[in-house]
Amino acid sequence: MRLVPAELVESRQILPGQWIQSFHAPALASGSRAGQFVHVRTGDYSGLLLRRPLSINTADPATGVITIHFRTVGRGTDWLTRLRPGETLDMLGPLGRPFEVDPRSRHLLLVAGGLGIAGVRMLIDEAIRDGRQVVVLFGAASARDVYPSSLLPDEVEYAVATDDGSLGHAGLVTELVADYEAWADQAFACGPKPMLAALATLAAGRRERLGVAKLGRKRGGGRRDPVGSPAARRKSFLQVALEQNMGCAVGACLGCVVMGVTGQPQRVCREGPVFAAEEIAWEAGW
Amino acid sequence: MKAKKRVVTSGASASASRTRRRPTVRRVTSAIVPARPVAKRERAASPAGGSTVESVVAQPPASVDLSVDLAPRRGGLRLANPILVASGTFGYGIEYGEVVDVERLGAICCKGTTLKPRIGNPPPRVTETPAGMLNSIGLQNPGIDAVLEKYAPLWQRWSVPVIVNVAGESIADYVEVVRRLDGVPGVAGVELNISCPNVGKGGLQFAIDAEAAGAVTAAVRRATGLPLLVKLSPNVADVRPIARAIEAAGADAISAINTLSGIAVARDRTRPLLGNVFGGLSGPAIKPVALRIVYEVSQVVDIPVVAIGGIVELGDVLDFLAVGAVAVQVGTAIFADPTLPVRLVDELAVECARRDLDSYRPLIGTALPRKPGPPSVKGVEYRP
Repeated sequence: MRLVPAELVESRQILPGQWIQSFHAPALASGSRAGQFVHVRTGDYSGLLLRRPLSINTADPATGVITIHFRTVGRGTDWLTRLRPGETLDMLGPLGRPFEVDPRSRHLLLVAGGLGIAGVRMLIDEAIRDGRQVVVLFGAASARDVYPSSLLPDEVEYAVATDDGSLGHAGLVTELVADYEAWADQAFACGPKPMLAALATLAAGRRERLGVAKLGRKRGGGRRDPVGSPAARRKSFLQVALEQNMGCAVGACLGCVVMGVTGQPQRVCREGPVFAAEEIAWEAGW
Repeated sequence: MKAKKRVVTSGASASASRTRRRPTVRRVTSAIVPARPVAKRERAASPAGGSTVESVVAQPPASVDLSVDLAPRRGGLRLANPILVASGTFGYGIEYGEVVDVERLGAICCKGTTLKPRIGNPPPRVTETPAGMLNSIGLQNPGIDAVLEKYAPLWQRWSVPVIVNVAGESIADYVEVVRRLDGVPGVAGVELNISCPNVGKGGLQFAIDAEAAGAVTAAVRRATGLPLLVKLSPNVADVRPIARAIEAAGADAISAINTLSGIAVARDRTRPLLGNVFGGLSGPAIKPVALRIVYEVSQVVDIPVVAIGGIVELGDVLDFLAVGAVAVQVGTAIFADPTLPVRLVDELAVECARRDLDSYRPLIGTALPRKPGPPSVKGVEYRP
């Protein structure tokens, strides 16, 4: 975690209201992993006070450039779009814990709902770099919100679902999962909470549907990795990246919690934003 | 799954976005746009480039005496400087450790701590508001025993005093927590949170009634010899009788103010935004209220007043000193700029040196009236 100046290199609107901005910030580009985020300070000319937590969309250690992908939802993100190349932002990062990919996983299933693609985008790059096969399932309201495939690496298999059927599968992106759940070794998702909850339910019932034996030690028992540890998350089929309103983003203010299965609120900024699906108490409504 | 199939989004939509993009860029830079956004951008760019300010005050004069005692009656809470961090915004002191040199702070007020663990309120718990934020954490904390076990050994190693913020539902709760704090190495003082607006039971009820505030303060006073601060709520009609009662009950200092009660509405306008409906407003938006209360309180009590409320720059610190505060707590602004409190220490020293002062004490109370008089009484009638 560091406070670093980040100079805007390029800013472009990839979809209506959605922007990708590149920043020169070598410390962030080389020190971050997929799933982590930066806390970006916007200008406080009109009383904006809080930083904006944004997923690191891509990071290129060679050029020292990271990108962020956001939708203009308010004055803070609106201010970001008016930033010009050469201007500098104050970023705190990299923050949070990354996706944990099991070294043995060959096939990764990534599920993104809308802007959730920003949460898993960097994992695509990391997986392809490590020689894994990646399928990206993308869900959006209509064709105009679909993430352009030109922004994805060629190696990726990309399937789209839209609510109105204007592109790809007509329906929810979670309905595409059935085609891939047997193929996938691990799954990673980012998007709206109902989508993640549906995926968590699918993941929980996956073993019975597929008739897969529980992998691991033959006689059971033995050492169990503590819930929430990187090792435990690596063994989990589904990891989700959550979003929540944030204050400090370093774990001090306890503003960004979700309810964990242990009954203890989990900080999205510190224990997350990536969680194993079984760590979250989805039905708690938190 | 042998062949890699790619479902390509229609080329039309991709090219459409490309053509749309260009005019948008041109719109921003074109001369049609009046000078206003440009001026905005320039002004906005300056806080982001805050590092330049830092380099200007890189060498604060060592000769200026910034030390302050918040418990002068017992001489027990000597701080190296009057810039503290407010409870709830700095966790237990370690969260910001990687980006802030905590040892340079005057003191740390830790997250509000209760006797039993509390899981707090359902999310969303925070939201931004004009020049401020609403929070409704609901005093989530692991309980006093867990806090002391986990953090007290660490606090003991620090040179910066740690003031434990204590909340409770009943006087017995407060007394029990404070008893467990008494004599623990690493605990420099106690700040009573009798004014949390975000919990159902307890909290606020002690802060809105002079008798109750005095009772809880006196009970805690009997239970501990630790320096005792009591944090006032702004959610009252007249704060002065409460401050007087707290002083009479034996508090060493008063901190003011806690957050103002408020709500926000969800984006779809179908319900209040916060999970707990009600939240506490903090940030620059509440500075005038905090100034008014510090102004009123410092005229009716002799114990030190620690000001809290919307401090984002040195000017705010000087304002609060001028209305009688001897020290300040920086809160919400830390979220935007974690290095702010430490920078304020340096800037205050530079400011004193610029005015040829060897201590910051002459800055205190310069805006107070000679004698407490009608202005602070007037207006009470039409305050909520």
